[in-house]
Amino acid sequence: MTRSSKIFRFVLKRLLQGIPIILAIVIINFFLLNMADGDAVDVLAGEAGSATPEYMAELRAKFGLDQPLPVQLFVYLKNVVVLDLGYSFRHDMPVSELIVDRFWPTALLMVSTILLAVGFGILLGLLAAMRLNTWKDAVITVFALITYATPLFWVGLMMIVVFSLNLGWFPTSGMENVAAFYEGWDRVKDIAVHLVLPTITLSLFYLALYTRMMRASMLEQYGQDYVITARAKGLTERRITFVHVLRNALLPVVTMAGVQVGALIGGSVIVESVFAWPGLGMLAFESLFARDLNLLLGIFLLSSVLVIVVNLIVDIIYSLLDPRIEVS
Amino acid sequence: MKNIFKGSLVALALILSSVAAKAQEAGGTLAFLVQPEPPTLASYVSTSGPIGLVMPKVYEGLFDYDNDGKMVPMLAESYEMSADGKTVTFNLRKGVRWHDGEPFTSADVKFTILEVLKKVHPRGPNSFREVSRIDTPDDHTAIFHLDNPAPYMMRSFSAYESPMVPMHLLEGQDIKSAPLANNPVGTGPFKFVEWKKGQYIRLDKNEDYWQEGLPYLDRIVGRFIPDASTRTAAMENGEVMYAAYNAIPNIDAVRLKERDDIDVTTDGYSMINPMALIEFNTKEGPFVDPAIRRAISTAIDRRFMIDTIFFGYGKPATSALSSNYKATNLHAEMPNYPETGDVDAANAMLDAAGYARDGDGVRMRAVLDIIPYGEDWRRAGEYLKQAMGDIGIEIELRYEDVPTWLKRVYHNYDFEMNVNYFYQLPDPVLGVHRHYGTNQIRQGTHFVNSSRYSNPELDALLDSGSKEPDAAKRTATYQEIQEILANDMPVVNLFELEFLTVYNTELKGAYGSAMGAYGSFREAWLED
Repeated sequence: MTRSSKIFRFVLKRLLQGIPIILAIVIINFFLLNMADGDAVDVLAGEAGSATPEYMAELRAKFGLDQPLPVQLFVYLKNVVVLDLGYSFRHDMPVSELIVDRFWPTALLMVSTILLAVGFGILLGLLAAMRLNTWKDAVITVFALITYATPLFWVGLMMIVVFSLNLGWFPTSGMENVAAFYEGWDRVKDIAVHLVLPTITLSLFYLALYTRMMRASMLEQYGQDYVITARAKGLTERRITFVHVLRNALLPVVTMAGVQVGALIGGSVIVESVFAWPGLGMLAFESLFARDLNLLLGIFLLSSVLVIVVNLIVDIIYSLLDPRIEVS
Repeated sequence: MKNIFKGSLVALALILSSVAAKAQEAGGTLAFLVQPEPPTLASYVSTSGPIGLVMPKVYEGLFDYDNDGKMVPMLAESYEMSADGKTVTFNLRKGVRWHDGEPFTSADVKFTILEVLKKVHPRGPNSFREVSRIDTPDDHTAIFHLDNPAPYMMRSFSAYESPMVPMHLLEGQDIKSAPLANNPVGTGPFKFVEWKKGQYIRLDKNEDYWQEGLPYLDRIVGRFIPDASTRTAAMENGEVMYAAYNAIPNIDAVRLKERDDIDVTTDGYSMINPMALIEFNTKEGPFVDPAIRRAISTAIDRRFMIDTIFFGYGKPATSALSSNYKATNLHAEMPNYPETGDVDAANAMLDAAGYARDGDGVRMRAVLDIIPYGEDWRRAGEYLKQAMGDIGIEIELRYEDVPTWLKRVYHNYDFEMNVNYFYQLPDPVLGVHRHYGTNQIRQGTHFVNSSRYSNPELDALLDSGSKEPDAAKRTATYQEIQEILANDMPVVNLFELEFLTVYNTELKGAYGSAMGAYGSFREAWLED
C-alpha cells in the first residue's frame, strides 16, 4: 500500500471513530444543560419586565420546550443527522447561521494565537536550551514563569491600559472601527490592528507553556545516545541541534498544541469578553445565561468536531516529523 | 445630594448653551454603550433595558417628556381631554412618513394601541386598560374613548413606553413573531441599518425626518462591550461617548468624573423611577408576621448602603412610593423608615412581639436571595446580613443566575426574602400597584406581587386611585395606601436608585428629555 492511500484510510477510520464520540458528547451535554433551573422563556420574559403565564406557555409550545426531555433529545438528534442545528429562539436566527457568523472571529484569533504561541514558544525554548544556564536562559525562564502565572483577564486589562490608554497605539476593544466602517483593504488593516492586543494576551499564557516544554524537551534529547553518536561522528553542534535534536524535541510540543485547541476556546471566553471580540466563546457564555440550549449544543458540537479534526491533523504531522511513527 | 445638584446643573447648563449658542454642528458618528446586547429589537413586545437604549431613536411616541415632566409634542401635536376625563382627542402631526415611505396616519395609532400595546406589550395592558375604543374620523385625528378616567395614561406616551409602529407591516400577522422585530421601520430621526451580533447596532440619519434640520448626527452606533473595565477604558479613550444605566460602574464613574472631557449626570431617570427593596414571602416561612418586617425596615441604615456601596448615588426610601411622585403630590413620608437605622428600636419591636434570642443571640434564621445583577447587589446583601444579624436574625445569602432566581421567586415562591429593584415608573398605577394588589398575585409572571400579600381594603384603595380624576382626592387616597403599606410592609423599600449616565462633554444636546438614554437623540450633536 502506498503512503498516501495509507493516510487516507487512516483519516477515514478516525473520522468514523469520531462519530460515536460526538454523539456521546451531544447526549451528555443535552442532559447536563437541561439540569439547570429555568429555561429560555423565563429569561426572555424576565428581561421583558412582565409576561402573562399564557404567553409564556405559548412560547414554550412554540420552542418545543413543553415536550418531555427524551422527545426533545430525539428531535434534536434527528435534526443533527441532517446537519440541521436547530433554531435559536433568543436570537431569532438559525443556530448554524449564528455559529458561522461568530466562528470566523474566533478562528482568526485562534490561528494567530497558535502561530504566535507555538512559533515563539519553540524559538524561545530552543534559545534557552542552547544557552543553558546563561543569562539568556535565565531571562527566558523567568519571563515564561511570570506569564504562565498571570491571570489572562489581568494581562488583557493591563494591555489596554498601556497600549490603548497611555500609548494610544491600539483600540481598546471590538473588531472594527465603528465610526469609520472601512471597506476593502482598509478594513483588513483595521481588523488586523484590532487583533493585536487580544492575540498577544491569549498567546502569552500558551507561549510560556511551549517555551518551558520546548526547553525541557530539548535538554532531554541532548542527553540521548544518538546525540553522543552524532558528536562522535564529528558533526557540528549546530547540525546536531537543528537536524537531529530539534525534530525529536518538537514531538511533545505538537502533541500539547493539539490537545490545547479545545482549551483555547475556553480561554478565549475571557479574552473575547475583555476585548469585546465577537467570537464563539462570548456567544457560548451569553447563551448559557440566556438558557439558549440549542445554540449552546451547536457550539459544543462544533468545538468537539474541531478537537477531533485537530487531533487527527496532529497525528499526521507526527508521522511527517518522525517517519518511525506510522499512521495505522 | 451635592452630586445630584451638580449633575442637574451641568445638564441644565448644557441645554441652555445649546439653545443659546445655536452652534450645533451637523454630522459625525456617535458611538455609545449598549449593555448588555439586547435579545431583540421589538420594543413593542419587550421593555428590556438595552432595547430601550436603541429603539426610541427609530420608533417615536405621541409625546416626549422634558426634564420638568412637561409633555413635548412628537407624533401628536396636541390633545384635548373632555371634562369627565373619558374622551381624549389627539391631533396628529401631518406629513410624517415611515422609513419605507408610507404615510403615518391615525390608523397606525389605533392599531398600535389596541392591537399591539394593549395585547402584547408587558405594561401596555395596564397603561391602556381603560381604552375601549378609538375613533379615527380622519387621517390626523385619533379619539380615545375610556371606560374610566385614566390620569396615568398621559404619562405613558413616550417612544420607549408606547412606540408607534407601522400597521402595514404588522397587520394580519402574529405580532410577537412578525419580521418587523429585527427589521424595524419607524418614523424616528434614525433608520435601522444593521445589527452585527456581538459587535454593534448601526442607525443612520433619516434624511426625510419630519422636523426640518434634525437630526444633527449622521450616524449612531450602539456598541456591546461585555467587560465593565473595558467599557470604562473605551470611554476614557473616546471610543464611546455616552454610557447610561450604570454601564460604567459607579466605582469608575466617580474617577472618570474628575477628567475634563467626561462628566456624569443622574438626570434622565425620573420616568423610570427605580426603587431598591426587599420582598418578603408573607404566606410561609419566618416573615409571616408584619412586626418582623417592620423591625427589619427599622434596623437598616439606608444612608450607609447608599454612601458605602453606591458611592452616594441614591436617596433613602421614606415610604412605599418614591419621592419622585412629589411632583404629582402622591408621596408622603411614613414611619418605620429611619434614614440611618435604629437598631435599639428594632430590637425592642422584636422583643415586644415575643421573639426571644436563643443561647447564641439568634431569634430566627432565614435565607436572603439577591438579585443577580452584579457586584453592587452582592455587597448590599452582605451589608443586610450584618444589619439583620444585629437584631438577632441570622441570614444566609443566596446568589443564583437570572433564570434560576426568576423561577425561584416568581414561579415556585420558594424564597423567604429577596433583594430586588422595581421600576416605579411615572405613576403608581403603572409601577407600584403590580406589587401589592391581590389581582397581581400571578404565579409565573415576573416582577409582580411575589409576596402574595392580599388586603381587600388596600385593593379598594388601589382601584379608586387608578380611576380618580381629581388630584386632591387622589393625594388623599395614596396617603391612606402608604399608611397601610408602612404598617404591613409586605415589601420593605430600601432606597431610590440613582442610575448614572457618563458622557463625553463633546456630546451636546442629548440631555433634554426626561427619558434620558431612552430618548431619541434627535438634537444630539458633536462638538469638534
